[in-house]
Amino acid sequence: MPHTKEQQKPILLLIDDSPSIHRLLAFKLKNEGLEFLAAFDSTEGVELAQSHQPSLILLDLNMPVVDGFQTMRALKECSQTISIPVIVLSGTTSPEDKVRAFELGAMDFVCKPFDIHELRARINSAIRISRLMKMLEMRAQVDGLTGLWNRAYFNERLASELAEASRNNKHLALVLCDLDHFKKLNDTFGHPAGDAVLQGFAEVLTTELRAYDIPCRYGGEEFVIILPDTDRDEARQVAERIRAALEAKGWPKFPDIHATASFGLTTAGLAGKDDPASWIQAADQMLYQAKHAGRNRVEVFSGPPSDGKAHLALAS
Amino acid sequence: MTDPKGPAGPIRSEMSSDADMLEIIQMFVDEMPERVAALEDAWRVHDTEALTRVAHQLKGASPGYGYSSVGDAAAILERSLKSADQDLSSVQAQFDHLIDLCSRVVV
Repeated sequence: MPHTKEQQKPILLLIDDSPSIHRLLAFKLKNEGLEFLAAFDSTEGVELAQSHQPSLILLDLNMPVVDGFQTMRALKECSQTISIPVIVLSGTTSPEDKVRAFELGAMDFVCKPFDIHELRARINSAIRISRLMKMLEMRAQVDGLTGLWNRAYFNERLASELAEASRNNKHLALVLCDLDHFKKLNDTFGHPAGDAVLQGFAEVLTTELRAYDIPCRYGGEEFVIILPDTDRDEARQVAERIRAALEAKGWPKFPDIHATASFGLTTAGLAGKDDPASWIQAADQMLYQAKHAGRNRVEVFSGPPSDGKAHLALAS
Repeated sequence: MTDPKGPAGPIRSEMSSDADMLEIIQMFVDEMPERVAALEDAWRVHDTEALTRVAHQLKGASPGYGYSSVGDAAAILERSLKSADQDLSSVQAQFDHLIDLCSRVVV
């Protein structure tokens, strides 16, 4: 489920070959509520950035062996570290170096010897900006009404989960759900009631799903759930649990509402294909069957003769 | 290490009144003989690169520990080394001055 986990202490990674600078900064910034991570050369710095995902990196330009510019390039070429903001700390004051640092992706540039008050202010500003950027990124992926992931996020995530499942020979399940008679519900009880049901169904999803499941609003009254590492039987149980929970749900503000949904489940792509579109088509076919078989039910795609693992769908 | 005004006294940190900071200032001072040795070694073998590196680090760190005069002298040496090319004799005065200041640093 979409949520921010930015509540812990921000981690500050300092990459500088001089122990004197490490000690000085650790001392001067000790009251800033930061967690310090120290690297004394470029290789160590890039590794720590990847493994610890710091909120901010302070990077010295003038280091022996691998200098700050090369380090910057390595950080910006790696998908895990590309969005971590970097403040370049340098004893060089030449405009050329500053321009180069910014061109390589630095967020800010501070000359050594630094004024500690200025550095402190710049660190806090960089952390603030990167938080806002993350929030915007998150907003662009979340559906405003339900708080679930939106369709754009779903498209990206399904592709990456499919790739992951086939790479690691893991199960994957996809469930497409559609609220039953939603148009009639809207017409009878009004749009506020319709919105309440959409939100209520989102609540059911977040309650019934496991932490690693990925519920998304697909559009209108359609929802889609990616269930990583889940085989057909397990997925069927999850879908059935959601179906039952929605059916049993009361609507205090609209006591006459009785909301149900239909579910189409697949653990393979249509026609043995393994691309996202084929998986959605397979789930959609099942959803169509569920609707025609009387709604408020789960239909499961039997798929190609396989154990349901993503890689076998690809091979067949 | 002579001074026209006579034997020069110790150089104290401008931040020694900050009691919390004394510990790391002391560490910085304790490491000074090492830095002086590194500078002198580099000088002896005409290693401009090593000289520049130590001067550069001193320039960056010293003012933070309250030794701005050391930082200034290191900056001047670093800058002079850039134009000195291979001829270190032209920066003799700047080198001596930095060594002198580093040797006098106390908490």
